Amino acid sequence: MSDTTPVIPDQPEVCRTVDAEERGVWRRVMDRFADHCRARSLFVLHYCTGCGAIELPPTITSRFDMERVGVSPMVTPRQADILLITGYLSVKTLKRVILSYEQMQSPKYVLGFGSCTINGGMYWNSYATVKRLDQYIPADGFIAGCMPRPEAVQQVFLDLMKKIDAGQANAWQDYYLNYDRYLGNQMALFGEEWHTPVDVIAEAEHYGYVGDGTRGRFTEILDRHAAYALRDAPEDYPERGANERLLP
Amino acid sequence: MTLLADLILMPLVAFVVGLLLVLMARRVRAKIERRVGPPFLQPVYDIVKLYAKKTQVSHGVMHDLAIMMLLGGFITAEIFLPVPGLDGLAEHGDLITLVYIMMVPMLGLALGVGSCANPNGSIGISRALTAMLAYDVPYVVVIVGACISYGTTNLIDIVQIQQQGGPATWGAATMPILAFAGLLATHGMLGKEPFEIYIAPAEIATGPMTEMSGKYMGALFVMQCFQLYTVGVLYTTMFLGGGENWLFFLPKVFAVIFISVAVTNVYGRYKTDDVIRWMWKWPTGIALVGLALVMVR
Ligand code: SF4
Repeated sequence: MSDTTPVIPDQPEVCRTVDAEERGVWRRVMDRFADHCRARSLFVLHYCTGCGAIELPPTITSRFDMERVGVSPMVTPRQADILLITGYLSVKTLKRVILSYEQMQSPKYVLGFGSCTINGGMYWNSYATVKRLDQYIPADGFIAGCMPRPEAVQQVFLDLMKKIDAGQANAWQDYYLNYDRYLGNQMALFGEEWHTPVDVIAEAEHYGYVGDGTRGRFTEILDRHAAYALRDAPEDYPERGANERLLP
Repeated sequence: MTLLADLILMPLVAFVVGLLLVLMARRVRAKIERRVGPPFLQPVYDIVKLYAKKTQVSHGVMHDLAIMMLLGGFITAEIFLPVPGLDGLAEHGDLITLVYIMMVPMLGLALGVGSCANPNGSIGISRALTAMLAYDVPYVVVIVGACISYGTTNLIDIVQIQQQGGPATWGAATMPILAFAGLLATHGMLGKEPFEIYIAPAEIATGPMTEMSGKYMGALFVMQCFQLYTVGVLYTTMFLGGGENWLFFLPKVFAVIFISVAVTNVYGRYKTDDVIRWMWKWPTGIALVGLALVMVR
């Protein structure tokens, strides 16, 4: 193992920053109303990676009918609110999960389905699977069991709804606030070359979710790669926008 | 002053009725699948949720403008569509204007999807425009037939002719063959199975909607409300005698949409070329027979 392999740092506490505007009455009422609606309309992107996916058809269809509580399936990450990871993730699929997750629009929620997403489950000693989902993307809830029954799936949705309604399902902010930690964990798995098309730091800056953990040693690696790529790109490279040319 | 009130009220009414139509469509589908179905306010929750997303992704100016065109097209269509008590601009426009305006949203969607640069979206929109070509042929024949039969293209006059003569002079009674062809074309227009090849969630990931998120998706949900309403009201006006008041009018609109929603669940999907073949064969053929009958009379 080379000495450049990133080390997983200690996990800092998750905390929610309250901006000044949020204290206004009107703003609070609107937020409350929006949260109320958010909790009652959840579009789910089923990321059916593992065996647990087989429990979803009964949950959606006539036996249990999720639509009566406002949960309905959607097919692209852009449209979805919930990323439902049903079962074990191999290292290869985790890459795709992260790409999908970064394309979703906030507020977004991640639910881990089955023991495999919690601690590796029966694949705990496999070389190819990921043990803990929430080290790589922030998760809002888990369903234990191998595999969980549809009743359990419904329960986690109802719990998530309560959390959203109370304005507490804010794990997605953690991805912005502590991006460095998540990126570090991802790099530990995929190598230092790992990067995604979504500029998470720029998003965090734009929407005001920059925290102490947004930038760090691992995002520096990203910056270095970006600078390197920029230096090597030919001057008349068509993708090279005006912004990029301004960079040193 | 009343005109101004009309202009504001008509799209609003259309939106609210459209929400109810969407709810009905989803409930009926749920009932057919032996499910309970969504709660009463579900369409509202969906739209508010989508507009309240905290991050939004735009794919450029064209993407934003497309959404304007999309909603603008339908809102314009609403104010040309007379409903009980609200005439809006219906006197100044006619059926032909309305048919033109109803094409604007689809073209807007095409421009917006083009700027998303998503292959699924491009395939979807090319299929959608092809489908439009398919169902617009019978639809135009039906509209021409109706205009010849009533002797006018003015929607207000059409409603009046039917209301003065009672149910015996309704379009559905005087030209049943055209009315039937119109129903088939309407079904294609709503993009329900078997004509929903351009949405095809399992194949091209909802086609034109693939890259739409947040408020863009919300605008599409609003558009769906307007679409159901416009199609339902137009059919009611042409063939079911409009309505003296909302109490008689709304059940007819709901019935038109209900027929479409109720039969859609038993079908699979046609391929795009099959859609064209079917649409240009059956509804067009039936509509031409109807047109011939109207002209002979
Ligand atoms: S928790 Fe069990 S059922 Fe779920 S993916 Fe893992 S092994 Fe399969």
